Amino acid sequence: MAEPTTEPLVSFRSVHKAFGTYVAVKSLDLDIHRGEFIALMGPSGCGKTTTLRMLAGLEAPTSGAITIGGKVMNDVPPHQRDTPLVWQSLALFPFLSVVENVEFGLRMRGVAPKERRDRAMLWLERMQLKGFETRRIDQLSGGQRQRVALARSLVTEPEMLLLDEPLSALDAHLVIRMQGVLTRLQKELGITFVYVTHSQSEAFAMADRVVIMGNGEIAQIGRPQEIFRGPKSRFVAEFVGRNNILGGTVKGGVMETAQGAVPLPAARDGKAEIVVAADRVTVSGERPAGAAIRASFLSEEFAGTGIICYFETADGAEWKAQVTESQLASLQPESGQEFWLSWNADSAHVMGG
Amino acid sequence: MTRKFDPYPHVWRLPLLIWQGAFFVVPLLFMAALSFWLVKNYRMEPAFAFDNWERMLGRGAFWDAYWLTLFRACMAGIIASLIAFPASLFLAFHLSPQGRRFALLCLIVPFFTSFLVRAYAWQVILAESGPVNALLGGIGLGPYTMLNSGFGAMIGYLTLVLPLVVIFQTWSLAAIDKSLIEAAANLGASPARTLVSVIIPAAKTGLVLGAVFAFIMTFGDFVSPFYLGGSKPPTLTILIIDTTKSGQQWPRAAVVAIMMILTLFAVATAALKAAYGRRG
Repeated sequence: MAEPTTEPLVSFRSVHKAFGTYVAVKSLDLDIHRGEFIALMGPSGCGKTTTLRMLAGLEAPTSGAITIGGKVMNDVPPHQRDTPLVWQSLALFPFLSVVENVEFGLRMRGVAPKERRDRAMLWLERMQLKGFETRRIDQLSGGQRQRVALARSLVTEPEMLLLDEPLSALDAHLVIRMQGVLTRLQKELGITFVYVTHSQSEAFAMADRVVIMGNGEIAQIGRPQEIFRGPKSRFVAEFVGRNNILGGTVKGGVMETAQGAVPLPAARDGKAEIVVAADRVTVSGERPAGAAIRASFLSEEFAGTGIICYFETADGAEWKAQVTESQLASLQPESGQEFWLSWNADSAHVMGG
Repeated sequence: MTRKFDPYPHVWRLPLLIWQGAFFVVPLLFMAALSFWLVKNYRMEPAFAFDNWERMLGRGAFWDAYWLTLFRACMAGIIASLIAFPASLFLAFHLSPQGRRFALLCLIVPFFTSFLVRAYAWQVILAESGPVNALLGGIGLGPYTMLNSGFGAMIGYLTLVLPLVVIFQTWSLAAIDKSLIEAAANLGASPARTLVSVIIPAAKTGLVLGAVFAFIMTFGDFVSPFYLGGSKPPTLTILIIDTTKSGQQWPRAAVVAIMMILTLFAVATAALKAAYGRRG
C-alpha cells in the first residue's frame, strides 16, 4: 500500500448533501491519498454513491468543501474535471463503435483524429480487445463491455478513476477475474482508484483502505484486515458479515452474559460487547474449557472454502460457526440439536474499546 | 405431439384482416386497375391502356406539382423538426414525469378540433386585416399578404404536424439513459457537445420518425394548400381534385394517387432504414 507521503489528492471537509429533506451524506471528512485503492462500502442508501458522484461533479455538495489536488472543486462542472467514472450500467454509447467509445474523451479534449485513434487502439490492445474495435457495444459480452468502459475512462490518463459498483452485473467467475484485472491495472498505473461497492468480498479483496458508510456517515475507516478483525461498532460487525456479537457486563476478566459467564481477560470492567468471527468458533458436543456458550443447530450453508453452520442461542441470538466438511461429517448435526460453541478468549474483539 | 388447431388467436386477428383487406388492399388494387381504364363520353370503361400514364407523366404540369409537393413536404419536415426540438428538449429534460405526461396530453388536445376548423381559424388570423397584420402595423410594418401563398400553406402544415413531431421527439429524448448524458460530461463534453455528440445520436429514431411523419402528413394534405395556400400552384392533392372534377377523369387521378403512394413508400422505407439502421 502507498503510504500517505504528501498531501492528500482528495479531501472532503464537513461535506453535507441533502436531496430535499432527505440527507444523503452528513458532515463527511475523508482524505484520499495519491495512488491508493480505496473502497467506499455500505448498504444501499448509505451515501457511498452520492459521495462518488460529488467527487465527479455530478452532484453538488449542499455545504462543505471538496478539494482535488488542493483546489476547491465545489463549483467546477463535471466536464472540466478529470475524474472519469465507470458506471454500474457502464453507460457505453450504443450508437458508437467500440473504438469510438474509447476515443470519446480524447475527441472531447480536441486530440487530433490520428493520435486519438492510435491511443484508443493501444488501450484496446491492453484490455485484450484487439480485433473488436469496429464492433457495436451490443455485440460484446459482459466482460468485454466492462473492459471497454475501463479503456474509455483510462484513455485520457487521469490521476484517479472512480468506479461505481462496476462488477455487480457480472457472473461470479467474471467478478473474480475482473478483480484481478482491476488490482493489476491500479498497481501498474499507480493512480488512485475510488471504488464504490456493497460487496464486502470485492472491497476486501482489492482495496488498500476500506471506508464503511452507514446512514450518510463514515462508520469506520481502515485496512481490510483491521475492519474484519476489529469492527468498532455493531453496525460494522453486522455489515461485514460472519461475525457473532455477545453483550454483557465485565467484572475481573469475566463477562456475565445471558448465555452464562465467559472469560474476557482483555476488557475493562463495565458493559461490553464482543465480536467473535465465525471462523474462530469451534463446535463441540461436550463442554470445552474456556469461553463457550450453548446453542441449538439451525442449518448449514456451503460457502466455497468451508461450511457456515447457523445456531440459535436460548435468547434468540443467531450465531455462525465456520467448519470444514470433515468436521461437519463427524458432528452430524440435526436441526434443534444442542452444541457448545467455544472460542479462544484472546480472539474475541471488544467493540468500542 | 400434434397440436390441435386453436382458433382463438385467429378470431381476434380477423376483424383487422377483414377491414384492411376490404377497405385498403382491395380499393388499392382497384385503383391500380382503374389507372388503365379509359373515359369515353364522360363514362369510364374498363380497359388496359397506358394512355392515362403517358398523358399524366408526360405533362409538365404534373411534374411541377410533384416537385412542389415534395419540396413542401421536405421543408415542413425540416422546419417542424427544428421548431419542435427546443420544446422537446425542455419537455424531456426539465419537467418531472408527471409534468411531461400533462404536457403531452395538452399536445393531443389540438387533434380534438377538426383540422379544417383550425385552418379556417388561421384564415382569420392571417387575413390582410387580421390580428397579425394589425400587430405588425402597430410597429409600422405591413400589411403583408400571408394567405394564398406558400407561407400560408406552411402555417397550415405546421399546425397539422407540430404536436405530433413534439410528441415523437419528446418520447425519444426522455427515453435516453440519463447516465449516457452524465458519462459524456464525465468524459469532458460541454453541454453543447453533449447535445450534438450524444443526445441527438441517442434520440435518432424518434427525431427521424417525427420528421418523416411530418413529411407524410404534409405530402398528402389537401386542406393547407387549398384553404391557406390558395391552391396555385397546385400540389398533387389539388391536382387530384382538379382531375376528377374535369370530365370524370378518375383514371388519371388514380395515376397521381399511385405516384404519391410510391413516393411515400420509398421515403418511409429510406427513413425507417435511417432511423433504425446501425453502422458496423
